[in-house]
Amino acid sequence: MFNVLAASVTDSPIVHAGKAIGLALGVGLGALGAGIGIGNIFGSMIQSVARQPELRGELQGIQWLGFALTEAVVFYGLLGSILAYVLV
Amino acid sequence: MKRAFAILGTFALLLPASAFARGVFDPTTEFEQHEWIPIHLGPLNLSITKAVAYLMLGSLLTIAFGLFFMRSKAARMPGRRETVGELVYDVAQTQVAEQGLPHKAIGRWFPYVASLMLFIFVVNLIGFIPLPLTGETWHGIPVWGIYAATSSLSVTLALSLLTFVFTHIEGVRWNGPVRYFKSWIPEAPKPLLALIVPLEVLGQFMRLISLSVRLFANMLAGHILILTFIGLIFILQSLVLAIVVVPIATIFYLFEVVIVVGIQAFIFAALSAIYIGSAIEPEH
Repeated sequence: MFNVLAASVTDSPIVHAGKAIGLALGVGLGALGAGIGIGNIFGSMIQSVARQPELRGELQGIQWLGFALTEAVVFYGLLGSILAYVLV
Repeated sequence: MKRAFAILGTFALLLPASAFARGVFDPTTEFEQHEWIPIHLGPLNLSITKAVAYLMLGSLLTIAFGLFFMRSKAARMPGRRETVGELVYDVAQTQVAEQGLPHKAIGRWFPYVASLMLFIFVVNLIGFIPLPLTGETWHGIPVWGIYAATSSLSVTLALSLLTFVFTHIEGVRWNGPVRYFKSWIPEAPKPLLALIVPLEVLGQFMRLISLSVRLFANMLAGHILILTFIGLIFILQSLVLAIVVVPIATIFYLFEVVIVVGIQAFIFAALSAIYIGSAIEPEH
């Protein structure tokens, strides 16, 4: 019975719908997390520059490093979901 | 003159290559690699593809950039050329090398991280300039298109493999193999070690993945975003959409060129410096 199910399921529209939902969820949740993280980074940057404007130059390097590290999280989600979309 | 170039550039950007060549548009076809000049050495495939052409162009431009901006005679009143060169050097020195590398290793590894930063910056940047390198023709004229070599995983993986290999060579060279690999093991209670050590070893390899995928996915997503927005005109077959779609695509284009291109080059070099530095001087 499972064999029949598997054979009929692999190409049905439901599978395509599921893949599309998976892709969108993967990217969307990744973007959610990265959005919160990037907001945090820039918020803290503004606060610390407001408190100690003379440290701006030193903080900027760290800020961009943190920004890129956080932003990359979306792309891990994107890559994972594209893999799921293509391979499954 | 400048305005004419800007207008020409905008128009060249507006022509998604494959749409004109084939009449149908699919953004993913922009990233396919065709063998232009096949070179096969046994199991090795060294063919010249689109990415290889962009890499060659990028290396040439990087060398030209270095010679033009860095090799100017130090004048009493620094001109614009010298200012740009000093700015790039300053970022590479203070923000990248000195942040990650210990003092004793800067002399040896500054050239590597600096050229890594410059090279990735140039390759990223020429990816956003429309060039007639798409390999497709439209009535005999080469079609213009945007493509970045760094949006191919093979390129970024090769770059991060360089860093990965140098990291461990340097770690072993400065500390000796025993002390270096011992430094991977953090201080923790004995029963926990069985759990932590595999994670640490895995973490070393995760660096390889995170370093390469960060650059690759950033460039790929940027290009797909721009291409998809402009491609909506072709997918939905209505020219009216251009009023909405072209400004959006332009905004993303500017975001990519102004922020992402520089940041990704900086991050790649900075993380390489940090990895190599942390191998030379392990924390414990």
